[in-house]
Amino acid sequence: MRRASIILAAVLVSACDARPAPVTLRAGPPLRLEPGPGVRINARLKPALELEGGIVVRFDSPHLTPDSAYFTAPPTAEAPPAVHAGTLRVSVCPAGERICRSLTIAAAW
Amino acid sequence: MEALVVAGCVAVGAAAIRPRPAVSDGVPAPELGNTSWLNTDRALRLSELRGRVVLLNFWVFTCVNCTRTVPSLVDLDLRYRDAGLTVIGIHTPEFPPYAGEHDRGNLMRALARRGITYPNAQDNDRRTWNAYGIRYWPSFVLIDKQGRIRHTGYGEFHLNDRYYQEWDRRIRALLAE
Repeated sequence: MRRASIILAAVLVSACDARPAPVTLRAGPPLRLEPGPGVRINARLKPALELEGGIVVRFDSPHLTPDSAYFTAPPTAEAPPAVHAGTLRVSVCPAGERICRSLTIAAAW
Repeated sequence: MEALVVAGCVAVGAAAIRPRPAVSDGVPAPELGNTSWLNTDRALRLSELRGRVVLLNFWVFTCVNCTRTVPSLVDLDLRYRDAGLTVIGIHTPEFPPYAGEHDRGNLMRALARRGITYPNAQDNDRRTWNAYGIRYWPSFVLIDKQGRIRHTGYGEFHLNDRYYQEWDRRIRALLAE
Protein backbone atom coordinates (compact mmCIF):
# COMPACT_ATOMS: atom_id res chain seq x y z
CA MET A 1 0.00 0.00 0.00
CA ARG A 2 1.36 3.32 -0.92
CA ARG A 3 1.78 5.59 1.93
CA ALA A 4 -0.07 8.78 1.68
CA SER A 5 2.02 11.71 2.43
CA ILE A 6 2.80 15.26 2.01
CA ILE A 7 0.85 18.02 3.29
CA LEU A 8 1.85 21.42 4.02
CA ALA A 9 5.44 21.40 3.23
CA ALA A 10 5.78 22.00 -0.44
CA VAL A 11 2.58 23.82 -0.98
CA LEU A 12 2.97 25.87 2.12
CA VAL A 13 6.37 26.93 1.08
CA SER A 14 5.32 28.12 -2.30
CA ALA A 15 2.30 29.84 -0.88
CA CYS A 16 3.94 31.63 1.99
CA ASP A 17 7.62 31.74 1.62
CA ALA A 18 10.33 30.58 -0.71
CA ARG A 19 12.30 28.87 2.00
CA PRO A 20 12.15 25.24 3.16
CA ALA A 21 9.00 24.14 4.97
CA PRO A 22 9.24 24.23 8.76
CA VAL A 23 7.34 20.97 9.08
CA THR A 24 5.87 18.22 6.94
CA LEU A 25 2.85 16.20 7.95
CA ARG A 26 2.90 12.67 6.67
CA ALA A 27 -0.27 10.64 6.55
CA GLY A 28 -0.31 7.34 8.36
CA PRO A 29 -1.61 5.91 10.40
CA PRO A 30 -0.25 7.26 12.56
CA LEU A 31 0.09 10.81 11.33
CA ARG A 32 3.68 11.87 11.59
CA LEU A 33 5.09 15.37 11.90
CA GLU A 34 8.57 15.82 10.53
CA PRO A 35 10.64 18.96 11.13
CA GLY A 36 12.33 20.68 8.24
CA PRO A 37 16.10 21.26 8.16
CA GLY A 38 17.27 23.09 11.26
CA VAL A 39 13.80 23.15 12.76
CA ARG A 40 13.07 21.82 16.23
CA ILE A 41 9.52 21.00 17.27
CA ASN A 42 8.63 22.31 20.72
CA ALA A 43 7.84 19.34 22.95
CA ARG A 44 6.56 21.48 25.81
CA LEU A 45 3.67 22.53 23.64
CA LYS A 46 2.73 19.37 21.84
CA PRO A 47 1.55 19.93 18.28
CA ALA A 48 -2.19 19.74 17.83
CA LEU A 49 -4.50 18.77 15.03
CA GLU A 50 -7.91 20.37 15.36
CA LEU A 51 -10.64 18.35 13.69
CA GLU A 52 -14.32 18.87 12.97
CA GLY A 53 -16.60 18.74 15.94
CA GLY A 54 -14.09 20.29 18.28
CA ILE A 55 -11.91 17.20 18.44
CA VAL A 56 -8.27 17.93 19.14
CA VAL A 57 -5.57 15.33 18.61
CA ARG A 58 -2.14 15.98 20.09
CA PHE A 59 1.13 14.73 18.66
CA ASP A 60 3.66 13.15 20.97
CA SER A 61 6.83 11.10 21.09
CA PRO A 62 8.81 9.62 23.97
CA HIS A 63 12.02 10.74 22.31
CA LEU A 64 13.04 14.11 23.69
CA THR A 65 16.14 16.18 24.23
CA PRO A 66 17.56 15.84 27.78
CA ASP A 67 15.86 19.04 28.85
CA SER A 68 12.53 17.83 27.41
CA ALA A 69 12.44 20.91 25.23
CA TYR A 70 12.31 19.37 21.75
CA PHE A 71 11.34 16.14 20.07
CA THR A 72 14.26 14.10 18.81
CA ALA A 73 12.00 11.83 16.76
CA PRO A 74 8.97 12.92 14.74
CA PRO A 75 5.93 13.05 17.00
CA THR A 76 2.91 11.04 15.90
CA ALA A 77 -0.83 11.21 16.40
CA GLU A 78 -3.82 9.00 15.67
CA ALA A 79 -6.67 10.72 13.89
CA PRO A 80 -10.08 9.04 13.52
CA PRO A 81 -9.99 7.01 10.28
CA ALA A 82 -12.87 8.87 8.69
CA VAL A 83 -11.28 12.25 9.18
CA HIS A 84 -8.98 13.57 6.50
CA ALA A 85 -8.67 17.27 7.15
CA GLY A 86 -7.98 19.58 10.01
CA THR A 87 -6.01 22.50 11.29
CA LEU A 88 -2.49 21.83 12.43
CA ARG A 89 -0.89 23.92 15.13
CA VAL A 90 2.77 23.50 15.84
CA SER A 91 5.32 25.50 17.79
CA VAL A 92 8.71 25.42 16.12
CA CYS A 93 12.01 26.78 17.36
CA PRO A 94 14.48 27.00 14.48
CA ALA A 95 18.05 26.32 15.53
CA GLY A 96 20.10 29.46 15.76
CA GLU A 97 17.17 31.87 15.83
CA ARG A 98 16.67 32.01 19.63
CA ILE A 99 12.91 32.23 19.21
CA CYS A 100 9.83 30.08 18.96
CA ARG A 101 7.17 30.70 16.38
CA SER A 102 3.69 29.30 16.12
CA LEU A 103 2.31 27.96 12.89
CA THR A 104 -1.33 27.35 12.12
CA ILE A 105 -1.89 25.48 8.91
CA ALA A 106 -4.93 24.00 7.21
CA ALA A 107 -4.11 20.47 6.16
CA ALA A 108 -5.70 17.54 4.40
CA TRP A 109 -4.51 13.97 3.89
CA MET B 1 -4.11 6.87 -2.38
CA GLU B 2 -1.86 9.80 -2.53
CA ALA B 3 -2.67 12.44 -0.08
CA LEU B 4 -3.46 15.97 -0.51
CA VAL B 5 -2.64 19.11 0.49
CA VAL B 6 -2.76 22.26 2.15
CA ALA B 7 -5.27 24.79 2.10
CA GLY B 8 -3.44 27.82 2.99
CA CYS B 9 -1.31 29.27 5.58
CA VAL B 10 -2.24 31.27 8.54
CA ALA B 11 0.49 32.18 10.87
CA VAL B 12 -0.27 32.91 14.43
CA GLY B 13 3.20 33.94 15.35
CA ALA B 14 4.69 33.96 11.97
CA ALA B 15 4.72 31.85 8.89
CA ALA B 16 7.68 33.49 7.32
CA ILE B 17 11.01 32.11 8.27
CA ARG B 18 12.99 35.24 8.81
CA PRO B 19 12.21 37.40 11.84
CA ARG B 20 10.93 40.92 11.29
CA PRO B 21 11.04 43.84 13.70
CA ALA B 22 8.01 44.63 15.79
CA VAL B 23 6.83 48.13 16.56
CA SER B 24 8.95 51.11 15.62
CA ASP B 25 11.32 52.70 18.05
CA GLY B 26 10.57 56.23 19.20
CA VAL B 27 6.77 56.07 19.11
CA PRO B 28 4.55 56.25 22.19
CA ALA B 29 4.12 52.81 23.69
CA PRO B 30 0.58 51.46 23.34
CA GLU B 31 -1.22 51.31 26.68
CA LEU B 32 -1.59 47.97 28.43
CA GLY B 33 -5.22 46.91 28.50
CA ASN B 34 -4.87 43.57 30.23
CA THR B 35 -7.22 42.86 33.12
CA SER B 36 -5.76 39.70 34.65
CA TRP B 37 -2.47 40.23 36.45
CA LEU B 38 -0.20 38.29 38.76
CA ASN B 39 2.50 39.47 41.14
CA THR B 40 0.73 42.79 41.56
CA ASP B 41 -2.40 43.79 43.45
CA ARG B 42 -3.81 45.82 40.57
CA ALA B 43 -3.69 46.11 36.81
CA LEU B 44 -0.67 48.10 35.67
CA ARG B 45 -0.94 50.92 33.17
CA LEU B 46 2.00 52.55 31.43
CA SER B 47 0.47 55.95 32.06
CA GLU B 48 1.02 55.32 35.76
CA LEU B 49 4.63 54.29 35.22
CA ARG B 50 5.89 57.56 33.76
CA GLY B 51 9.26 58.33 35.26
CA ARG B 52 10.21 54.67 35.25
CA VAL B 53 11.90 52.63 32.54
CA VAL B 54 9.71 49.68 31.54
CA LEU B 55 10.86 46.42 29.99
CA LEU B 56 8.06 44.36 28.49
CA ASN B 57 8.79 40.69 27.99
CA PHE B 58 6.39 38.84 25.71
CA TRP B 59 6.62 35.19 26.68
CA VAL B 60 4.75 31.99 27.39
CA PHE B 61 5.76 29.25 29.80
CA THR B 62 5.67 26.56 27.11
CA CYS B 63 8.33 28.37 25.07
CA VAL B 64 11.76 27.04 25.81
CA ASN B 65 13.54 30.11 24.49
CA CYS B 66 11.40 32.17 26.83
CA THR B 67 12.01 30.17 29.98
CA ARG B 68 15.73 30.04 29.33
CA THR B 69 15.71 33.84 29.31
CA VAL B 70 13.89 34.15 32.63
CA PRO B 71 17.03 34.03 34.82
CA SER B 72 18.35 37.06 32.99
CA LEU B 73 15.11 38.96 33.45
CA VAL B 74 14.97 38.06 37.13
CA ASP B 75 18.52 39.33 37.42
CA LEU B 76 17.74 42.61 35.66
CA ASP B 77 14.69 43.10 37.87
CA LEU B 78 16.74 42.51 41.01
CA ARG B 79 19.52 44.82 39.91
CA TYR B 80 17.51 47.73 38.61
CA ARG B 81 14.05 47.72 40.20
CA ASP B 82 15.08 50.13 42.93
CA ALA B 83 16.87 52.29 40.36
CA GLY B 84 13.69 52.77 38.35
CA LEU B 85 13.18 49.73 36.13
CA THR B 86 9.85 47.92 35.96
CA VAL B 87 9.97 44.54 34.28
CA ILE B 88 6.56 43.34 33.10
CA GLY B 89 5.84 39.91 31.68
CA ILE B 90 3.18 39.81 29.00
CA HIS B 91 2.17 36.17 29.02
CA THR B 92 0.76 35.42 25.57
CA PRO B 93 -0.38 31.87 24.78
CA GLU B 94 0.59 30.23 21.51
CA PHE B 95 -2.25 27.70 21.33
CA PRO B 96 -5.98 27.79 22.15
CA PRO B 97 -7.10 27.16 25.74
CA TYR B 98 -7.00 23.36 25.45
CA ALA B 99 -3.21 23.57 25.76
CA GLY B 100 -3.39 25.01 29.28
CA GLU B 101 -1.47 28.22 28.60
CA HIS B 102 -4.52 30.38 29.31
CA ASP B 103 -4.98 28.95 32.78
CA ARG B 104 -4.17 31.39 35.55
CA GLY B 105 -3.19 28.61 37.94
CA ASN B 106 -0.71 27.18 35.46
CA LEU B 107 0.85 30.59 34.99
CA MET B 108 0.97 31.15 38.73
CA ARG B 109 2.84 27.87 39.17
CA ALA B 110 5.23 28.73 36.34
CA LEU B 111 6.05 32.06 37.95
CA ALA B 112 6.71 30.43 41.31
CA ARG B 113 8.79 27.64 39.79
CA ARG B 114 11.02 30.12 38.01
CA GLY B 115 11.33 32.66 40.80
CA ILE B 116 9.56 35.41 38.88
CA THR B 117 8.38 38.16 41.21
CA TYR B 118 7.86 40.96 38.70
CA PRO B 119 4.30 41.64 37.47
CA ASN B 120 2.82 39.52 34.73
CA ALA B 121 -0.27 40.17 32.65
CA GLN B 122 -2.32 37.40 31.12
CA ASP B 123 -2.59 38.39 27.47
CA ASN B 124 -4.98 35.59 26.60
CA ASP B 125 -6.78 37.60 23.96
CA ARG B 126 -3.47 38.86 22.53
CA ARG B 127 -4.54 42.48 22.82
CA THR B 128 -1.11 43.66 23.92
CA TRP B 129 0.73 41.26 21.61
CA ASN B 130 -1.25 42.66 18.69
CA ALA B 131 -0.99 46.28 19.80
CA TYR B 132 2.81 45.99 19.73
CA GLY B 133 2.91 43.94 16.53
CA ILE B 134 4.81 41.11 18.19
CA ARG B 135 5.52 37.97 16.19
CA TYR B 136 7.95 35.83 18.17
CA TRP B 137 8.47 34.36 21.60
CA PRO B 138 10.31 35.78 23.44
CA SER B 139 10.18 39.46 22.42
CA PHE B 140 11.15 42.57 24.31
CA VAL B 141 10.13 46.21 24.27
CA LEU B 142 12.06 48.79 26.27
CA ILE B 143 10.14 51.96 27.12
CA ASP B 144 11.69 55.16 28.41
CA LYS B 145 10.56 57.37 31.29
CA GLN B 146 8.32 59.39 28.97
CA GLY B 147 6.49 56.30 27.75
CA ARG B 148 8.17 56.08 24.35
CA ILE B 149 9.40 52.88 22.79
CA ARG B 150 13.16 53.09 22.57
CA HIS B 151 14.27 49.54 21.77
CA THR B 152 12.60 46.40 20.51
CA GLY B 153 14.00 42.96 19.96
CA TYR B 154 13.47 39.27 20.27
CA GLY B 155 15.31 36.09 21.05
CA GLU B 156 16.61 34.08 23.97
CA PHE B 157 19.53 35.44 25.95
CA HIS B 158 21.51 34.30 28.95
CA LEU B 159 23.20 35.90 31.92
CA ASN B 160 26.15 37.92 30.71
CA ASP B 161 26.06 36.81 27.10
CA ARG B 162 26.35 39.52 24.46
CA TYR B 163 22.59 39.96 24.12
CA TYR B 164 22.21 40.31 27.87
CA GLN B 165 24.97 42.87 27.93
CA GLU B 166 23.26 44.81 25.17
CA TRP B 167 19.93 44.92 27.02
CA ASP B 168 21.75 45.79 30.23
CA ARG B 169 23.51 48.68 28.48
CA ARG B 170 20.24 49.96 27.03
CA ILE B 171 18.49 49.81 30.39
CA ARG B 172 21.31 51.67 32.14
CA ALA B 173 21.30 54.34 29.45
CA LEU B 174 17.56 54.95 29.83
CA LEU B 175 17.77 54.95 33.60
CA ALA B 176 20.44 57.63 33.34
CA GLU B 177 18.35 59.96 31.18
